[in-house]
Amino acid sequence: MSSKTDRPTIRSAAWRISLWATLAFACGTMLVFVGLHRFVADDIQRRSDAWLSGEVEVLGDVAERTPKDALYGRVVGEVAELAGKEVPNRLLSEGSANDSVFFLQTGADGSLKLWVGAGSGIPNLKAIQASRIVPDHPSDLKVQGFGVPFRVASLHADDGSYIYLGLSERDELRVLRSLRLRFILLWLVLVFLGFCIVFFTTRRMLSHVRRIADAASTIGHSDLSARVPTSNRNDEVGHLALTLNRMLDRIENSIHQLHTITDSLAHDLRSPLTAIRGKLEMSLSATFEGEQAEPIVSAIDELDRLTDFLNKSLDVAEAKADALRLNRGEIDLDELLRIMINLYEPSMSERELTVKLRSSGPARISADAALVHRMIANLFDNELKHLPTACTVIVSLQMNRDSATLILDDDGPGFDSDVVPDLFERRVKGKGSKGHGLGLAFIDAVVRAHGGTVKACNRSEGGARITVQLPAAAEQLAGPFAAVKR
Amino acid sequence: MRLLLVEDEIDIQAFLRTSLEEAGYQVEAASDGKTAEQLAIDGQFDILIVDLGLPDQDGISLILKLRQMGVRAPVLILSARRSVDDRVRGLEQGGDDYLTKPFALAELLARLRNLLKRNSPPGAEATRLRVLDLELDLLRREAIRSGQLLQLTPQEFVLLEYLCRNAGRVVTRSMILDQVWGMRIQPDTNVVDVHIYRLRGKVDGKGQQPLIRTLRGVGYVLKDR
Repeated sequence: MSSKTDRPTIRSAAWRISLWATLAFACGTMLVFVGLHRFVADDIQRRSDAWLSGEVEVLGDVAERTPKDALYGRVVGEVAELAGKEVPNRLLSEGSANDSVFFLQTGADGSLKLWVGAGSGIPNLKAIQASRIVPDHPSDLKVQGFGVPFRVASLHADDGSYIYLGLSERDELRVLRSLRLRFILLWLVLVFLGFCIVFFTTRRMLSHVRRIADAASTIGHSDLSARVPTSNRNDEVGHLALTLNRMLDRIENSIHQLHTITDSLAHDLRSPLTAIRGKLEMSLSATFEGEQAEPIVSAIDELDRLTDFLNKSLDVAEAKADALRLNRGEIDLDELLRIMINLYEPSMSERELTVKLRSSGPARISADAALVHRMIANLFDNELKHLPTACTVIVSLQMNRDSATLILDDDGPGFDSDVVPDLFERRVKGKGSKGHGLGLAFIDAVVRAHGGTVKACNRSEGGARITVQLPAAAEQLAGPFAAVKR
Repeated sequence: MRLLLVEDEIDIQAFLRTSLEEAGYQVEAASDGKTAEQLAIDGQFDILIVDLGLPDQDGISLILKLRQMGVRAPVLILSARRSVDDRVRGLEQGGDDYLTKPFALAELLARLRNLLKRNSPPGAEATRLRVLDLELDLLRREAIRSGQLLQLTPQEFVLLEYLCRNAGRVVTRSMILDQVWGMRIQPDTNVVDVHIYRLRGKVDGKGQQPLIRTLRGVGYVLKDR
């Protein structure tokens, strides 16, 4: 699983999906366990109640049948003690057997008649008297001095005495506690396992989606002939890949058509331009120095401008459709700016303009050298054409980790405020401008094709500012489809 | 110098033929790939000009085919396409050159000369250039006119050196931009003219014969006689 475009795992969709799925799973299994627990607890209680009711009946029977002599207490006591040894749910190896069971008989007056069990039996009697215990219906009894309540069944004997048989719920509770402990352990293991399974399956599936996204994002910028990876599975993800690929087919077709149109347009216009230029040059060489040369010279100039206009408008048209073909290489903007300033400085000082460079050193970026050269020449041409004399142009260049920023500041009159919003549109130009309004549109086109941004504004202290930001590397160059072709 | 011109546009072929013959080449012209192959087999050419858009085949395929047939002469590729094809780049690295249409004749001639020079055995590189009374010391980067040292900036020296190397021949603005500044750009302003103007101010002093001549609409030439 590639995690090259590393977002932290915590923020990944797989993480969130598995978190929610696990939460739902945990709640579900918890509900099941609570239900089971209840069922088991009820069952245990029912069993002990059945035992209690049975035993108390036997004891009542014994008490009734046994003659009321000196042996009465002993016989009934023995029977009660025997009964205490058959307590249900009892844990073996319990040493002091009979603090979990008591037998109590009261006379018709309510006085303690017979007691078998741990302690004196007084607190038990008090507790019994305090709570109303209905015969034949076992109920809970809290006795002072005992942490755990007793389950008590009672019987009204025919001689008017009451027989109570109490069974401590200690063992029952212990069984339930150990059951709960096991449940919780099992639940934790289940939840953890569930989380792992959900996390890894969603991550597997989403990694395919991510690969598709990675591939798709590189395709847009570099190579339209590449396709996103498809899987053999006929699921939603496979479908997504197929749909994307079909869409890419269509886009590639239209881009290809655009290229064909612009190329053939360029070709069809350039051939006659070449012939015209050649003929003009030949007639010029025939009339060197003559007065007739002037119109020919200006015709050649016009022709060159027309060619330049043709190139630029086709570039702008392609860039608007994100279809400008780039031939990337490494260029140093710092070096390029120094050469440009060297080239433009005489023309600028001719017009009493000053140009200064503020650079923080080499700024290497991956870009189409020819286009960037023309783009920067355009920026300088723009300053040269529009600034009144005695202005200063400050060119600043800054290189960050992943992008280079080029800022051109001047202290001229700035842009016409009504053209600022759509300065980079084709044919938008200031009132006094003599150009064909393509310069800035071309700059925008080149910068956009490289994945950068360009902004123009008027500075608060007066003058214009153009900010160009170019990414250092071609976008997603490290991706699996980094083929950069022209 | 025998030159094979492969160009299907009759107009372009006609004016190229005339100006190339004026420049001293012996020109054979072909309008399609088939004819070009035929001519290339029959005659020994020193250099070829091939247009990329031929009616019967792609110019690149033609060049590759000619290479297979044993034609070793360098090729100047003419292209009316907007982008430079990878295959053209490949040929360029292999010693050929390309020029996009429309072009200035002077540039075409300069590129032809370069191609021929590149493919001829290298002679000893001169360390001094001499044009009339102008002398350039390429090692010490000094220019002397009529015994007087000219105060040139390094950039001006490179420009003057380029003009001297092409003395007597026309150089265009885009050739200067390409060779001196290393950029194939087309500024809408007269940046090159200003450089030449400054250089002229230093080279052509008062009372001296002006060396740097402007050919309007074409470019510049450093006079060599």
